[in-house]
Amino acid sequence: MEYIVTSIGLSLVQGFVLLLIAPLVAGIINKVKARLQKRQGASIFQEYFDICKWWKKATILTPYTGVIFVLAPVVYFMTSFMAATMVPGFLTGQFSMGDAFIFVYILALGRFFMTLSSMDAATSFGGMGGSREIYISVLVEPAVMLAILINSIRYHSTTLSAMVIDYNEAFFTVSAVLACVAFFLVMLAENSRLPVDNPDTHLELTMIHECMTLEYSGKLLSLIHLGSYLKIVVFLALFGALYVPVEIPLALKVLLGAVLIGIVETLNNKMRLFKVRVYLGAAIVLLLLAIIAE
Amino acid sequence: MDFMVLSLLVYLLGAVTFIWPKKAELVAHYFGMLCSIAASGLVAFSSLSYLLSSDSVWLIDMAWGQYTLQADGWSGAFLLITGVAGVIISIYAIDYGKGYLGSRIRALGGLWNLFLMSIVLVLIAGDAFTFIIAWEIMALVSFLLVNHESEKKKTVSAAYQYMVMTHIGTAAIMVAFYLVASAAESFSFMDMANNNLSGYMKNVAFLFAFGGFALKSGLMPLHIWLPNAHPAAPSHVSALMSGVMLKVALYGFGRFAFQFIGMDVFWYGLIVMVVGLISAFLGVLYATMEVDMKRILAYSSVENMGIIFSAFGCGMVLYSMKFPMLSVVAFTAALVHAASHSLMKGLLFMSAGCVMHATGSKNIEHMGGLARKMPYTALFTLIGSMALSSMPFTSGLVGEWLTLQSFITFAQQAGSPELRLLVVFAFIMLGLTGATALGCFVRMYGIAFLGRARTHIVEKAHEMPFFMLAGLALEAVLIVFVGVMPDFLVNLMQRVVSGSGIILMGNPLGIMWGGSGYYALYSPALIFIVFAFIGVFMVAAVYRSSTFQAKEVTWNCGTVPTSRQQYSATGFSKPLRRAFDGILNPKRRTTYLRKEHAYFGRKLHYELSIPDLFNDKLYKPLQQMLINSSSSFHRIQEGSVSIYIGYTMVAMIVVLIWGVLL
Repeated sequence: MEYIVTSIGLSLVQGFVLLLIAPLVAGIINKVKARLQKRQGASIFQEYFDICKWWKKATILTPYTGVIFVLAPVVYFMTSFMAATMVPGFLTGQFSMGDAFIFVYILALGRFFMTLSSMDAATSFGGMGGSREIYISVLVEPAVMLAILINSIRYHSTTLSAMVIDYNEAFFTVSAVLACVAFFLVMLAENSRLPVDNPDTHLELTMIHECMTLEYSGKLLSLIHLGSYLKIVVFLALFGALYVPVEIPLALKVLLGAVLIGIVETLNNKMRLFKVRVYLGAAIVLLLLAIIAE
Repeated sequence: MDFMVLSLLVYLLGAVTFIWPKKAELVAHYFGMLCSIAASGLVAFSSLSYLLSSDSVWLIDMAWGQYTLQADGWSGAFLLITGVAGVIISIYAIDYGKGYLGSRIRALGGLWNLFLMSIVLVLIAGDAFTFIIAWEIMALVSFLLVNHESEKKKTVSAAYQYMVMTHIGTAAIMVAFYLVASAAESFSFMDMANNNLSGYMKNVAFLFAFGGFALKSGLMPLHIWLPNAHPAAPSHVSALMSGVMLKVALYGFGRFAFQFIGMDVFWYGLIVMVVGLISAFLGVLYATMEVDMKRILAYSSVENMGIIFSAFGCGMVLYSMKFPMLSVVAFTAALVHAASHSLMKGLLFMSAGCVMHATGSKNIEHMGGLARKMPYTALFTLIGSMALSSMPFTSGLVGEWLTLQSFITFAQQAGSPELRLLVVFAFIMLGLTGATALGCFVRMYGIAFLGRARTHIVEKAHEMPFFMLAGLALEAVLIVFVGVMPDFLVNLMQRVVSGSGIILMGNPLGIMWGGSGYYALYSPALIFIVFAFIGVFMVAAVYRSSTFQAKEVTWNCGTVPTSRQQYSATGFSKPLRRAFDGILNPKRRTTYLRKEHAYFGRKLHYELSIPDLFNDKLYKPLQQMLINSSSSFHRIQEGSVSIYIGYTMVAMIVVLIWGVLL
């Protein structure tokens, strides 16, 4: 009992730590992008200022919205936070409340409420975002399942702490490298980054995640942004801990991953919506090869 | 067993409503529902004794001539499902059934009791005869129930389609029973377990049994009756058909797999698994394309039966690979998911009934904003939708997680490249199914309950009467209870399939699964506590009266937004329709009606239909073939009596010659 309480406490602390650095990582990604585009760019602390600004502003609701609309950002944030408490390798140790599948389904809970809320404001933009989010998530899900499968075959468990990569065993083997590349592709799609979605705009042609949040303002908006920054950090940490077959500190992996996202986002254009299935098909094929090679 | 017999008698008492005087229709209805609640309660209560007895096979023979009744753990699990669903749905039907006052409500109440009775009888049948008779009563009664609103043409055609299909299934099951029983030289289940079927005949018997039961449980490609029959039936009947009757098919198949045929052959399980996986994905994909609420739910039943059968098949495969201990997780997954699907599909069919009751329509394209008109129904439907999308804290995720664990367990043992490919296929299918199910129920709930009213039918919608809400609430509470504290259900169900040895740990912390160096854990209670812990802070920080002060209409480029600007259900599923157009094969037709003016005011008519793949590619050609072959018999059907006498004479001569030669 004592062990459980301590472990839950440590998990919560880890969640808060990741929450604190999340806007910084998002700021670093933006800074890298700006420098690569020969711009000065905003300070890496800009996201903190933005979140504080939104937090202070008034929250305006559309008269047609209901309970789901005000509930969704909170659930979304809470699922991201919950995912942050489950990431292995920082403070959590061997303790787990759920395995990798539960991790996926907890994030799916956030998606469930966000897509519902997109329909609650009764505008066409919201529905468009929700519809596309579902489309992307359907294509991402098989790849996520295969990514879990490969590590669980290798380490005989689906708990995240057991799935942490073993450098002696999987140091640059074919299967480890393929899985690493594939998970990076999956990560970009899961977090609505280029080339699947463009986080910078909410134009009609590109919008997916940003247009689901179009109706939000004030505290609710800041929660959504905080939740999605946190989700990127969680995925970067998971990517580093589970799939990068190089022995360097996890914090450094997260930082390098953020820089890599910045570079990839600068080099690539937004893909056509219906090309995404080819992109994620590639990730699935890579994972398939990795599983056969394992 | 005495309680079981008593419950059967109470059901029969409930069927008295058939001959109740017409003047007191309402009393008859109340009486019928009271009987079914009492009897189902008895069934649920006494099923626990079969489940909890340490001996998993507990037989009581009660021979009435040739008929035997028996109940063991395997029937106990399904009796529990039946009893719980029977009580809750009957409570709901107290108020829902009133909609049929004046249209054969007495028959409805009587048939309802007979339907439940026949299901219980199937589950406690102890020999092949009793089983087939009970199975046939179940088929006939459910046919009459589907056909209840026989004023509608669509209902009648759906009911007859169901009748024909289910009898094809019954025929296949009878063949399977006959093969096993003749090898065992007895019709009793006890003796049939020790049959000496040869390998070849065993294969034939397995295929017939799987075909027959797969048809009844709506696996693809034999699901064709299901999306038509469920919407045609009254809502509480669809809830029972989908929640319980489909599971009874799993019960029958389990009897064959465990007792009569065995699971030693690898490809038996393989077929079940692959058929299940394909049904799961295609079922949910078609569900996402439908706009009729009950058809969505019917296709989703195909999906969930697919998941259940795939888990069962996975268990059979593990068993045939000589891992009987590991196969326990897969069989438990199948049972737990069956129980949880019975809860969630019961809930959603009942809430579909509520929506129909309120708006008079099943088409979600006509709805929108129902959550404001009927908040309680909306809340319970949300819980049901979350459960069917297997969200955390609902029973849906417990079954889904166990299914995923059973496939991971299979993956651990699958060393060869071919088996690895099979595992990859399974996980791709499960991933696609899970994500599409989320999309499907987000779409159904979002379009029907959120946003603004799309047509005027929503205006007159109102909250439901007490007993209907009570039915919904009970199901929702059970779903959340199983979702947060799954150990009770999981322990019960795994006791059934593992006998006494407990491998899968269900403890107050959650479910643990381990074996041969493998380990995984899901602890919804702990996650729930952490969630609640963060939630308190969030609520304190965000939900203050100072946060929500301003209300403004959405900026719509200077115009006032109308409800028609919302996304439609068809539009919402468009990206998926396009991504999987190779399977769905949507047929689009746009017609321009330009009567008055060439450019201004011309009317556009847009039509979209998604025919069922198997209907077009399998059933229509089959039907055509049947018609063609039977029309070729026209030639010998002259209609003149002398020719028929000639036929008879030829037949007699042939028989005589045959008799002489032999």
